[in-house]
Amino acid sequence: MLQFSSTHDRRSFLKWAGIVGVGSGFVAGGLLSLPTMAQAQEIKAEARDDGDLGILNYALTLEYLESDFYATGLQKGFLKDRELELITPIGDHEKQHVTVVTSTITTLGGTPVAKPKITYPAGTFDSRDSFLKTASMFEELGVTAYHGQVPLIKSVDILGAAASIAGVESRHAAILAGMIGGNPFPNSIEKNASMADILAAVKPLIS
Amino acid sequence: MSRRDFVRGELNDISPAQALSALNSRWALAAPGDFATDIDVLNYALTLEYLEAAFYIQGNQAGLLSGTEQAYLAKIQADEEFHVTAITQTIQQLGGTPVEKPGVMFGDAFDTRLKYLTTSVTFENVGVGAYLGAAGFIKDKTILQAAAGIFGVEARHAAIVGNLLGLPAEGGVYKGAFETPMAKADVLAAASPFLASQMGAVPAGAADTGGGSAAAKDESGLYALGGAALLGAAGAAVYAARRNGRAEDEVAQ
Repeated sequence: MLQFSSTHDRRSFLKWAGIVGVGSGFVAGGLLSLPTMAQAQEIKAEARDDGDLGILNYALTLEYLESDFYATGLQKGFLKDRELELITPIGDHEKQHVTVVTSTITTLGGTPVAKPKITYPAGTFDSRDSFLKTASMFEELGVTAYHGQVPLIKSVDILGAAASIAGVESRHAAILAGMIGGNPFPNSIEKNASMADILAAVKPLIS
Repeated sequence: MSRRDFVRGELNDISPAQALSALNSRWALAAPGDFATDIDVLNYALTLEYLEAAFYIQGNQAGLLSGTEQAYLAKIQADEEFHVTAITQTIQQLGGTPVEKPGVMFGDAFDTRLKYLTTSVTFENVGVGAYLGAAGFIKDKTILQAAAGIFGVEARHAAIVGNLLGLPAEGGVYKGAFETPMAKADVLAAASPFLASQMGAVPAGAADTGGGSAAAKDESGLYALGGAALLGAAGAAVYAARRNGRAEDEVAQ
């Protein structure tokens, strides 16, 4: 389901996955509008060993996936009224996350990964239920992925940006869980997942 | 609009662009010196969690809710009580002294369902901003991860209660694509009407340069804890030991 557009892209993704190592998740965030040159240099100095850039590229891949997912799902017209009102901003948020994470990587001197070629499993967009259930799964995955990266980020600025995105993903996750009759508050403290676990979760979707 | 106005202002009126701008100014961290140590941050969080827990205990006893709403608010109460216990244990494990439970007064917040839930949303969003604003001060990566984990749950609470109230999706249920941090002074100003006894017990703390250098300093093996980092007693013991080890390293230097 999650296919990289070329062998090269996939290799790059795995390369930074290897750099980040055990922990992982995504973390993305953005230093919202671009930081000044001085700030960028300071952040670069803090983000040693390309670790933070690797984490940002990981986050970017996941945000691309989420953004594409909502754009595709919302086009199907399954939702209306309050559900449509609640899901539409989520798609906007993911789009903004992609933009901000991309510009952050570029500003820090890194190379943003290309948007992956995404192939959704059959049935993903067959109905409101399948769309929202998959959305809920993606959001919970995203939350745990971001929280897995929190202790790994070197730059406090990138940490702040990543956390500010993680909180939004938590809101999304709660609302979606409520919509599909799930539990909006599955844990008193958000769980976290390593990059290895996240990759394992999406691997069946990568051909 | 100054950053101060931004954090004091009506958050519903903040555009994503403004949020980005505020975050870019080093995400509006609390002023340097707000928190000298991780224990300071934890005591700050503990006071807020005490306030929230007391709020839900009283509110849920008022019998204003039923069905799913009642179940949701009961779970939120349980989450806040868990946060109080976990943070208290963590402070103790670190050798610190947890602040006393503050005296609280919620006025007419429990007169109606509408007032209860509206006050709840306010508390939750202040909690979200407070954790995000303080995150950069936390030096210990394990405590940071746990605090971030609590922050995310407060965001869930805020979204769900906002939705129960039927607030607009954007600006009510969600606060844009990025959460907005709040400085300590603004959080205390927002919480003070509900505190019968003030937060004077929170150590003022000496100046610290903020989270940047502190976080960069922490190169210990804490990363190895990875996902295990919860604030529970077991995890607290582990990182207290690591923290002590690091303190010795610093002395040795």
